Amino acid sequence: MLTGLFIILLIIILIATIVYGKRLIKVEKIDAVFGNPERSKGGYHWIIAGSCSILLLWFYFSWDVARSFFPNSANELCQVAKVRDSLVSIKYVFPIEQKTLKSSDFIKRENRNIELLNNQIKQSSIANKDKDKLIFLLVETQSLIKILSDEKYLNPEIKNKVLGVANQIDSLSKNIQNKNYPQFDSLSSEEKIAIKKQGFWGETGAEVPFYPNTKFGLKFDAASKELNKIVEQFFLIKNNSEVFEKKSKELDSVIENYRDTLAESQEVETQFAREVSKIYGRVTRSNIFPANVLDPVEQSVVRFEEVQKKEQGSLKIIDTLLFPGGTVVASGQTCSEQGSGRWLPKPTDTLKEFLHLLDPNQGYKNVPLFWYEMMGINKVVDFILPDWIADLVPGKYPVHNNEGKVISNFKSNVLDIVTGNFELFSIPVPSGHIWDSFLRVFLGLTLGILCGVPLGLFMGLSRFAAGYFDPLIELYRPVPPLAWAPLIITVFGIDNSGKIFLLFIVSFAIMVISARAGASGTQLSKIHAAHSLGASHWQILKEVIFPNSLPEILTGIRVAIGVCWGTLVAAEFLAGTTGIGFVENVARKYMQYEVIWITIFVMGLLGLLFDIGMRKIINKTIPWRGKG
Amino acid sequence: MKKTIIKTLGLISSLLVFSSSAFSAAKEVRAAFFLEWATPNQEAKVKKAFDKALGVPVKWTNFNTGVEMTEAMLSGAIDISYSQGMTPFVNAVNAKAPIKMVDIAVEYGMSGTGCVVSNASGISKKNARELEGKKVAVPLNTMADYAFKMIMKEYKVNVSKIQVVDMAPADGAVALVDGNVTMACMFGKNSIDKALTKGKMIMTTEEATKAGITSFDITSATDKFIKENPEMLRTFLQVTAEYNKRFRDGKSDLNIIAKDAGMDLAKTKNQMAGFKFPTPAEQRKVYFKNNGKSGKAVEVLTFMGNMFGTAANPALKDYSTTINTSFLPK
Repeated sequence: MLTGLFIILLIIILIATIVYGKRLIKVEKIDAVFGNPERSKGGYHWIIAGSCSILLLWFYFSWDVARSFFPNSANELCQVAKVRDSLVSIKYVFPIEQKTLKSSDFIKRENRNIELLNNQIKQSSIANKDKDKLIFLLVETQSLIKILSDEKYLNPEIKNKVLGVANQIDSLSKNIQNKNYPQFDSLSSEEKIAIKKQGFWGETGAEVPFYPNTKFGLKFDAASKELNKIVEQFFLIKNNSEVFEKKSKELDSVIENYRDTLAESQEVETQFAREVSKIYGRVTRSNIFPANVLDPVEQSVVRFEEVQKKEQGSLKIIDTLLFPGGTVVASGQTCSEQGSGRWLPKPTDTLKEFLHLLDPNQGYKNVPLFWYEMMGINKVVDFILPDWIADLVPGKYPVHNNEGKVISNFKSNVLDIVTGNFELFSIPVPSGHIWDSFLRVFLGLTLGILCGVPLGLFMGLSRFAAGYFDPLIELYRPVPPLAWAPLIITVFGIDNSGKIFLLFIVSFAIMVISARAGASGTQLSKIHAAHSLGASHWQILKEVIFPNSLPEILTGIRVAIGVCWGTLVAAEFLAGTTGIGFVENVARKYMQYEVIWITIFVMGLLGLLFDIGMRKIINKTIPWRGKG
Repeated sequence: MKKTIIKTLGLISSLLVFSSSAFSAAKEVRAAFFLEWATPNQEAKVKKAFDKALGVPVKWTNFNTGVEMTEAMLSGAIDISYSQGMTPFVNAVNAKAPIKMVDIAVEYGMSGTGCVVSNASGISKKNARELEGKKVAVPLNTMADYAFKMIMKEYKVNVSKIQVVDMAPADGAVALVDGNVTMACMFGKNSIDKALTKGKMIMTTEEATKAGITSFDITSATDKFIKENPEMLRTFLQVTAEYNKRFRDGKSDLNIIAKDAGMDLAKTKNQMAGFKFPTPAEQRKVYFKNNGKSGKAVEVLTFMGNMFGTAANPALKDYSTTINTSFLPK
């Protein structure tokens, strides 16, 4: 209900923004000509319209629109799907959805196979006697096909059986048009209990309720049960005319006899004989009929399909309009969404799952998505202070005395401090999958900037650096970051260092290139001016070259952020215990499409946040860009 | 404005076409298999015995994991998955995927999958509880994952205290050799052999059999294929059974199998020695009693289904509906 209201609200907002936007365009036509950059400014209402469109598309293709306005439709479609499922095998025999009759298809294929084998036998180097025999067997096999497809040999009973099946289907077609169908009680007692127990569409664990909830559904459910029985009967009809039975039995023994006469050394002959017997086997099992014999069944199925579609009534329209890109499919004792509804989770479900994951006690794989944990200050001290400080303190580390006690001295106290072996207060630090991913990108990027920018500037200013580092940079820059992946586990292990290194080499190359371009692009007149004002080298670098290359550097950072996110996911696929990429990879293995989409959104949002931050920095540090 | 509408409609219609890509009559059969997993019917595959028996070409595609097999089957790109692990199958049917189990392909103890614990750690089955708090490489949702959970249960180790690192078998082996993980669970002969250079199996094949931990792979097929081409599926299983019999009779050409599996002859022999390819009669007797309504297959499915069930994809009430034994050769 709430979802329905929200969808309506979205549509209203979308229309309102479009109307507002159109009005604005009319006004603007007067004071801003085409080509004036003013025309691209102030389009916030279009952002709203865009967001609404995305959400609406999502609601639509995930079939959430269908669920919120027609909550029973999936259950009813499931019953329709049962009917469809009952008919799949019988329809496949006829050119109803296929282009050709299955028997014709089979005969065409086997005739070709026989011809191919025939040619192979003719061209082989085996004795003529064997050749003749094998070809004879092939021709005989082909004659079996002829017998099967000739109405002359058909067992008269078969026509009656076929008509019987056709009549049953026809009477079912008639019956389901009756308002009161099914007149009999089509549900078993177990099914009646199951109906009461089954949940609603989308309830956790019950994707699509299987048993019919409505009178409408009951009709199709009953029809499918009847159909199953009829179809079973149909497939029991075998084309076993006396002529065929006799001939195939004869041929079977001839083939077997011939195979027995072959010596073990006659490998080629044995192989051919085997292939002949394979074709023979397929023909005898094929159960093909003369082309027109089964027509009554085909026509009755077509008629039933028409009636069945008509009976669906408005559900048919709901199916086509509100279940785009797929529909509900019945399989065994379950009904499931197949198509875009399967791999595109519904926004409401996704939101529910997201809130579930956000709960720090739940998280994903025992790690919260984004939370905090208390970390002792001692660990921070341990991380910052190097352990060798203690070694610098004069004296020796204490040893145990006669009483079996160790009395600490100043040196050992220092050691305790630098190794973090003390208890003090704890501070909250962020943790969780999102934070881990964020930290990896942040560290990789920062390292890349810190190393890349100075080197890039150096390369832009010095002939030595430009030449000396050029081969290194140019050689590894074009390598796709993932090409390093196979080495990462061996060299860095499975902890953070490998992933951060991967991100570092990605951002490093980008930063070097952009800083270099910035440095060498500085206007010479500005440098000359600084020189004539008596600036030192350091001052020129700091006051002229660096600010001038900032636009390039900042653009480089923006590019690097994008590439880093791209690489991160793959890096976390490698050996993961935490991180957004890890979550996505595991979710894929368990087919948790909600979680997969959540990770995609989170990554998109984080990328967006990084980018917005960068835009703010760019506007603040180089507001003069593009205005010189 | 008009253009925007046209573009949007174009996008929608292209999405529709993309997502409802139907495929027509079976001009070929598309089958999935694993590399590094030697099975007798690979001889049939190389010698085109399947193509000849079916009368249509068989297109074989190799996959890295059973999950990928399911994904391909769901998208309609694969009809039959040969030797899919039980774990990915059970997760697929928990997620209501329209596929069925039609045959038991390979039965193996710990010879195909297993957990290798590093020598340096000094951990063995006696002090297996020391694994708690350590890092263990496991390819999640595979038979190795199942073996890991079962072994830990047998040795009474608390799995939730172990740091599980999700790694493909080849990566897990490298991580173990480099000392980055204490134990690595994996499948595939090459990977296990690599790991064994710096470690040993925490549970041997005999111990696993004694503890009742058996693993087996299955053949699964899409509902669509089952309904439309039942005779082809029957023939497929028949050819497989034929070549399994050849293998039991010692008539298989192991060179061909080794080459197709991407291993050398010695490794292939070694691997296949630990494999059992049950005959249709054995399958009916042990795995599919009463047409799959009871027997080992449905028992293990139910057990595993509950083990791997999640809130979103809970275990099914009745797993026998995911088994179809009507295609087993007589």
